[in-house]
Amino acid sequence: MIQQEIPFVLIANCIPVKGANQSLICDLQRNNIVHIPNDLYDIIIKFEGETLHEIKSYYKNIYDDTIQEYFEFLYDNEFIIFTKTPNLFPKIALDWHEPSQISNAIIDINESSKYNVEKVIEQLNEINCKYLELRFFKSTNLNELSRLANFLDNLKSSIISIDFNMPFQQGFDELSLFSFISEFPRISSFRIHSSPFDKFIPPKKAQSGYIIYSQQKVKNEKFCGIVDTSLFAINIKTFTESQNHNSCLNRKISIDVEGNIKNCPSMAQSFGNIKDTTLQEVLQQKEFKKYWNITKDEISICKECEFRYICTDCRAYTENPKDNYSKPLKCGYSPYTNEWSDWSTNPLKQKAIEYYDLKGLI
Amino acid sequence: MIYVISEAEDVTTNYVLEWLLYYKKDFIRRNFQDVSTLNFLELSNDTLDIKIDELRKVEIKKIWHRRARTRFTPLSLRKIPSMYSYLKKEEEILVKSIENILKKDIDYIGSFQKEDENYKIDYLLLAKKVNLKIPDTLVTTSKEKLYLFFDKHASIITKDLRYPIRVNSENFKITSAGTTVITAKMLSEMKNNFAPSLFQERIDKQYEIRIFFFKDKLYPMAILSQNDESTSLDYRNYNNLKPNRNVPVLLPSKIEEKVINFIKSSELNTGSIDLILSTNNEYIFLEVNPQGQFDWVSKNCNYYIEKDIAEYLIN
Repeated sequence: MIQQEIPFVLIANCIPVKGANQSLICDLQRNNIVHIPNDLYDIIIKFEGETLHEIKSYYKNIYDDTIQEYFEFLYDNEFIIFTKTPNLFPKIALDWHEPSQISNAIIDINESSKYNVEKVIEQLNEINCKYLELRFFKSTNLNELSRLANFLDNLKSSIISIDFNMPFQQGFDELSLFSFISEFPRISSFRIHSSPFDKFIPPKKAQSGYIIYSQQKVKNEKFCGIVDTSLFAINIKTFTESQNHNSCLNRKISIDVEGNIKNCPSMAQSFGNIKDTTLQEVLQQKEFKKYWNITKDEISICKECEFRYICTDCRAYTENPKDNYSKPLKCGYSPYTNEWSDWSTNPLKQKAIEYYDLKGLI
Repeated sequence: MIYVISEAEDVTTNYVLEWLLYYKKDFIRRNFQDVSTLNFLELSNDTLDIKIDELRKVEIKKIWHRRARTRFTPLSLRKIPSMYSYLKKEEEILVKSIENILKKDIDYIGSFQKEDENYKIDYLLLAKKVNLKIPDTLVTTSKEKLYLFFDKHASIITKDLRYPIRVNSENFKITSAGTTVITAKMLSEMKNNFAPSLFQERIDKQYEIRIFFFKDKLYPMAILSQNDESTSLDYRNYNNLKPNRNVPVLLPSKIEEKVINFIKSSELNTGSIDLILSTNNEYIFLEVNPQGQFDWVSKNCNYYIEKDIAEYLIN
């Protein structure tokens, strides 16, 4: 029940984030977000640990109804509790740690790729990489995939999760893919692009792998970098990583279609080719990690956006290609109007679209 | 060498070992499912030596006994129920003796012995001794006595003395992981005498507190279960749609002191303690779990317990 005379405290893993025009409560335990007006954000921050009665009198009882309504909303969503000992409820620590030099890797493969994928996987294992995404920009088949999955199994690899990203073709029906998933529990998803239909199929019981069919065509790495609500990650891990590091590039490594070792396949800068450079060598290069610590709090516009700690970033395509702290080009959101619009038709973005030669994709 | 004893399915162990890999420290993990080698345990009037899994005692720096216990019995024998029910008992006491021997010279965290002998009554008494409050508790076989207890309290519950209920008969199955409220109807249907059972007054709570501890460090978490009908009795009756709020919490220093005294006198060096903060503002001890799960505490409170444990093991 709403208490007038007992202090309120916020639930520690429900964290309010203020934007230019509206705020969010990021519920990092139940993995969802709720919008709140900025004046409620201000009230929560200013008065946490005090009673509703005290808040109402602070505003000379002019806004009693609004304040009451606000707190009913917070209470109904279980964002707050009332307690006589608010001091016993500390804030949650926002530090972030990860027990690997590289957490995620992307391997891109197209018709002309000539490098040895197994060699890359072996090296990823040596650096304790956990998550691997294999992206095919050419047609592939289950034989080729099972050869790779078997290789990982035989290696007793540190990679605990594999996402296969590949174009649709005959044989990629639900039944075959799920039987593949049950054979290789490491597989966390099949993302089938260029499909005749859109469909999401959640994991089967006692498995974690799921399937997404999408009509979207993904011809090359230039299709990446889109910022969209469907890609938000509302969890403590991403939230804390975003406070301290770049949410897209930190602890990531990738091999582009030509075997070049990069932080991200969409970026121009290569740190050597897998045919004559090891991943370990690349990790020693200081320059390789130069984007890892660019946080959303430093990126223009993003730093005023309420989604900044749950959003994916993109440093490969930015509105101003010359500025490492410029907003992601493929984000259509404005934190000032709270509207999403089509980024590709925005007249202010055309120069950058031309610069990156993205015209053909739109 | 760091020697880790666990179960194959325990992911929490994986999280700690990921950190050991990251710090490039050697370890051996033996799961309950594995067959460990007991090379020898040799004692004479002036010697005592032990070698397990090709490791001499001096080669083991620390032992983290996370879950279950080691097993030495070959798989072929484990498959014969009539044989194994006997061999298992022999093996269990052997594992306890080995634990005692290793503990003398090696930093040994966790314990099969403590898990196996996790008797609720003993720990209630120990809590009482360090001046922690405990719920009114009755163990009886008599309905008459139970009636008196029932009348004395607004509401009473029952739970196991040590083993979660698991009865598999041909015709029926009984399982319970937690706590059950005793209703007047249940009472009226009971026989005059029954198997020894534990009953406690039901305590109305502000919230529950789960304290994971590892050596000297406490990691307390509040479980705000009182708003939810399914979990207001026992948080283990999970509500998956709207999970309980689990948040970091502090203990008043007086209570923390008592908890630390409890841990010391229990001779446990890791485990999880369950407390209730009652609506009367009293901290009440419920039970301790020597091999309890802590990953949910670590994740909900962003404590990174797994990192702390790994760093303890390598230092």
